[in-house]
Amino acid sequence: MAGESGSGKSSLARVLAGLIPDFYGGRFGGRVYYQGCEMRGIDRRKLARQVGMVFQDPEKQLVMTGVEAEIAFGLENLGLPQKEMFRRVAEVISFLGLTELRQEFTASLSGGQKQKLVLAAVLAMQPQVLILDEPTSQLDPVAAEDFFNLVKRLNEEMGFTIVLIEQRLERCFHLADRVVIMEGGRVAQDGDPDQAARWAVRSGTLLIPPVARFFSMLGFSSLPVTVKEGRKQLRQSFSGWPVSGRPDLRKEPTSCSTGQTLLVEVKNLWFTYPNGRETLQDINLKVNAGEFVAILGENGAGKSTLLKNMVGLLQPGRGKVLLDGSDLSKNKGRHPGRQVAYLSQNPNDYLFQDTVEDELLFTLKNFGMEDDGIVAELLEELQIGCHRRVNPRDLSSGERQRVALASVLVTRPDLLVLDEPTRGLDYRLKADMGSFLTRRVAAGVSVVLVTHDVEFAAEYASQAIMMFAGRIVSDGAKHETLGQSVFYSTQIGKLCRGFSEDILTFDEAMERIGPLLSVKTVARAGTLK
Amino acid sequence: MLDKLFYREKGLFLQSLHPLAALTYLGTLLVLALAFTNPLYLLGILLVVVLAIRAVDGLEAWESYLKIVLFMMVLVMIINPLVVHAGQTIIWHGPRVPVFGRLTISLEAICYGAAMSVRLLDIISVFCLYNQIVHPDKALNLFSRFAGKSVLVISLATRMFPAMVRELESIRGVQQMRGVDFDKGSAKEKVRKYSSLVNILLLSSLEDSLEIAESMQARAFGSGPRTCYTRNLWRPRDVLFLTGSACALGAGIWGLLHGFGGFTFYPQLDYLINGPGTVAVLLIVLFSLSIPVIFSWGWQRCHYLKSKIYFTIIRMLKDRP
Repeated sequence: MAGESGSGKSSLARVLAGLIPDFYGGRFGGRVYYQGCEMRGIDRRKLARQVGMVFQDPEKQLVMTGVEAEIAFGLENLGLPQKEMFRRVAEVISFLGLTELRQEFTASLSGGQKQKLVLAAVLAMQPQVLILDEPTSQLDPVAAEDFFNLVKRLNEEMGFTIVLIEQRLERCFHLADRVVIMEGGRVAQDGDPDQAARWAVRSGTLLIPPVARFFSMLGFSSLPVTVKEGRKQLRQSFSGWPVSGRPDLRKEPTSCSTGQTLLVEVKNLWFTYPNGRETLQDINLKVNAGEFVAILGENGAGKSTLLKNMVGLLQPGRGKVLLDGSDLSKNKGRHPGRQVAYLSQNPNDYLFQDTVEDELLFTLKNFGMEDDGIVAELLEELQIGCHRRVNPRDLSSGERQRVALASVLVTRPDLLVLDEPTRGLDYRLKADMGSFLTRRVAAGVSVVLVTHDVEFAAEYASQAIMMFAGRIVSDGAKHETLGQSVFYSTQIGKLCRGFSEDILTFDEAMERIGPLLSVKTVARAGTLK
Repeated sequence: MLDKLFYREKGLFLQSLHPLAALTYLGTLLVLALAFTNPLYLLGILLVVVLAIRAVDGLEAWESYLKIVLFMMVLVMIINPLVVHAGQTIIWHGPRVPVFGRLTISLEAICYGAAMSVRLLDIISVFCLYNQIVHPDKALNLFSRFAGKSVLVISLATRMFPAMVRELESIRGVQQMRGVDFDKGSAKEKVRKYSSLVNILLLSSLEDSLEIAESMQARAFGSGPRTCYTRNLWRPRDVLFLTGSACALGAGIWGLLHGFGGFTFYPQLDYLINGPGTVAVLLIVLFSLSIPVIFSWGWQRCHYLKSKIYFTIIRMLKDRP
């Protein structure tokens, strides 16, 4: 099930799980049937044994302190006898490979492990239908991939019926038997993935994987949804070309504009947490004014720690962070001044004033600044002007994030540092965020962000940095770093590998491979005539 | 950094006890520490507890507790002589001060303060030991049969605690980056700054609680009578330790009823050892309480004992139908 934020996907999922209207209340009409019985008439216990639901944030679904107790929680609620509970817990633990974690505290698990545990707790109740509401939105790509593989196995090998709500379609489009697209509270399209892709192309939404979009824009009749199918299609289309005559798609290196002013310099930075974990090792990094840097890497690579060192929230053990020439590590435990803005992962950490406007004014007041029209300007630019007098806690998560962003941007900073700003955003909001940041960069602000979203980094950043185990393993222009990587590459990049090395984004592919392919198809059409 | 204060699974002997045996043992220690007033007895209990803490590699954690308790101990030792004037052996006549009257420091009051501070250390150490050997889930499990809902609330609270500490840290960082300087300003301003941190945390927690409730509802919570999942094993050693605890408690109470284990501080200090009975009761109590420590030591050092315990378990399992 796909659709933009606020299109009613989550609500529909809750209807299917019986949580609406039983848990939420509200006005409702119509009926929901499960195997021919009206859902509201089914006893809750019976329903819970038929339909299980996993929600977005694993942090907000765990109840018990220990892993085993968590899995048993639902079984206890069902009132199962001891022996049956033993058996089911044991089965689920071995099926999901949680044996190692059996004795752990839930608090000490990683995000991916937590979500797996949530799934385990639901599976132990042995439902026939699994409803998953964006289960990977809070996970990093590796953990998300893991989770999807599990879901695939449950569906293909165990015969579970699965309703999966997802934003990042390139990951799961090919797994689905049916794709339902929601729009404004209605089902806009319901059919197999191929039909859905066609519908999405017709209606101009971005709700299909980039590969499918690429081929559909070029007028291909069959739409591949995976990289493998796409490459096959591409190979066939290029097969007519003599090898020597294959056009050289290599792009000349873009001329580096010299004479940029240096804003941030990280010099030989080392950082160790009080528990002795050495998180950053010998980091050297330069960010020029007006540069857009994306930091990529797996969880625990030290990305967030690096950001916190860059903004002065953590003090390096060794080395320096120079902002405009002054050493940030000197002002212990204080803010580095209005020059630097920092957006953390959780926008809720920002919101406590009565109105959106007050959030912005709060920051201004702290820095002793006056509102010279910047508040109105930012609110308009971030499209939250209409919510000016609204309590920020009444807004949706995307809007909350923009309020948080506005509340740090009111000081007109030179450096904007963001920790995973694309987490949980849909295609449209992500594009909005990207173009907003690009406008800031054009205005001379340096943007540094951590993201797991390679597609986003490739689309909007100018520089890309890869981190691994506390070190920077690659640093340079995005075509240099992402173009060379096999795994940290975009779907389009993977598609074009071997045909052209420098293509990362949809637009680049359209620009460079597109003409060749359409020439080819036109030529073929010509010979057919 | 804080995590060493809480339970960690180390696979140690004392951690493998059935929660009932472990809680009885800890309860006995606590009751005896509160019942005895004889400094020798209090010190004896302290010795046993510290040895037990050592047996679970908890000395490091104990030291962190000690740092806090030492301060309180000193406080007790200073305040008690200042406010209590019951002792006869006056060692210092001080000036007259308002509220307290004339300051007189008596030897008895000092001794009483010292004994009470040892008792305080006893109690804190027992709690430290509890955190080292009892898995919170296992302990709660024991009670969930008859107090399911309260146990669930406690469990939720303990689960949320580390997450909230982390959350508070990140909120503080965010506020700092928004120009809030937590070190500056008067006490009143500081309170205001910190209270806004708590405010944010509270707002977020309230929102999250709805999601947790939803997840619980989806897993059929409250749909009818619950059962209780438990994986606690009852081993021969648990019987032994339970007997040990009962023995120590019995001997202790018998001793108290017959005048051993108690101690009169006021108006004049009693004899520390009142005949051989005092020593005998003390030895019985201490020995009964040290059984788990001795076994734990044997488990680590003596392979014969380890295999013996191991084979007993195997045999018991085989005997079971």
